[in-house]
Amino acid sequence: MLLSRMRYLLLSSCVFILFACSTAYKQMPSASGNLNGLQKFKPVFKVALYNTQVDIMGNHFSGLLLIKKMPDNTIRMVFSNEIGFKFFDFEFSTDGAFKVYSVIKQMNKKSVLKTLRKDFELILMDRMDSSKVSVHINNGLLYYIFPNGNGYSHYITDSTGKDLVRMERASKKKTVVEAIMKNYINGIPDTIGISHKTFDFTIGLKRIER
Amino acid sequence: MHKLILLLLILATRVNLQAQYPGYSVVADLSKFKTEFSTAAQKTTAIKSDFIQEKNLSMLSEKIISKGKFWFKNESRVRMEYSQPFQYLMIINKDKVFVKDGQKENKISTKSNKLFQQINKIMIDCMQGTTLSNPDFKTRVFENKTTSMVELSPVTKGLKDLFRSINVIIDKKDFTLTSIDMLELSGDNTHIRFTNKELNATIPDALFIIK
Repeated sequence: MLLSRMRYLLLSSCVFILFACSTAYKQMPSASGNLNGLQKFKPVFKVALYNTQVDIMGNHFSGLLLIKKMPDNTIRMVFSNEIGFKFFDFEFSTDGAFKVYSVIKQMNKKSVLKTLRKDFELILMDRMDSSKVSVHINNGLLYYIFPNGNGYSHYITDSTGKDLVRMERASKKKTVVEAIMKNYINGIPDTIGISHKTFDFTIGLKRIER
Repeated sequence: MHKLILLLLILATRVNLQAQYPGYSVVADLSKFKTEFSTAAQKTTAIKSDFIQEKNLSMLSEKIISKGKFWFKNESRVRMEYSQPFQYLMIINKDKVFVKDGQKENKISTKSNKLFQQINKIMIDCMQGTTLSNPDFKTRVFENKTTSMVELSPVTKGLKDLFRSINVIIDKKDFTLTSIDMLELSGDNTHIRFTNKELNATIPDALFIIK
């Protein structure tokens, strides 16, 4: 029931994206950025375990997300609940490829997998093509805008490039997802948050020391 | 000739079963085991123990180890409290499940959630000695010197998609649960081992209250 509602809303948001038509941030004045500086926010996952809280459409569940960089440089993400029941096992390649090793039947829907893939790709920061970036400034914040399929990925820093203020996934007109990564320790963020703007869906990750 | 083939088949089956679970052999007298298990479980009205849970992610060569405390009280009440490396509480009280993670609390009725109902039943069956009569599984029983192992192979669709088998290890001394091993189709598994067991400990009912 819950997943079918999620699927409906994801489909609705996809339809909205398709019919939207120009970028919001491109109206802002252009600026010169520092792409190398932006790279320092790209998380350097070797292996990290996160306490995970998911809230969707008034429902809450929790679990553990293990993120591991494999010897072939792919990133694996395995999400299970606290008693060991596995929900999914995904692989992300640096070339943008995505593989599903396993997913429970209730989540095995194209729209659900696509949403989760895009959300996690945003925080992995692998798809930042320097030849296509445009940089803009507004209210003292630098907006690095990368075209991404039918939409955009935004990485927003303060004017000095010292802090990553937030990340966004956007259609041509509207922000669809906002995300944060904070308190980096040895290149790995301690806190990660993903929040959808078009429907009630948030993911909160807090790193667990093992 | 036919006798020889039959003998070879019996031997092959026996070798195959022993190869599957090294050190274990098939329990010959299943009805005796059932009776002993059930009788011993009826004498155990409460169990208090520690537990260590190990989630093995075989393809990632990773283990997630967590620890906590476990309580069981007749009838059909279980409390599992994870304390390391995260805080998580699960209470099963008959057909109700309560979970608390961090600050959030959640009540689940197993009547409306088939999977929870099945997992709930496994837990309770293990404690009450009724594991062998669960219709959701085909069961085989093996033994070594100190333990018996009940292999539960799912026969119902939902569980079949999730687990290859759930193996319950029972201490031969007192027929109490030593560990549960949940084997997934992917080759991953979750192993929960119970230590420092106190049988028929005094456990307040309040520990199982779901508000």
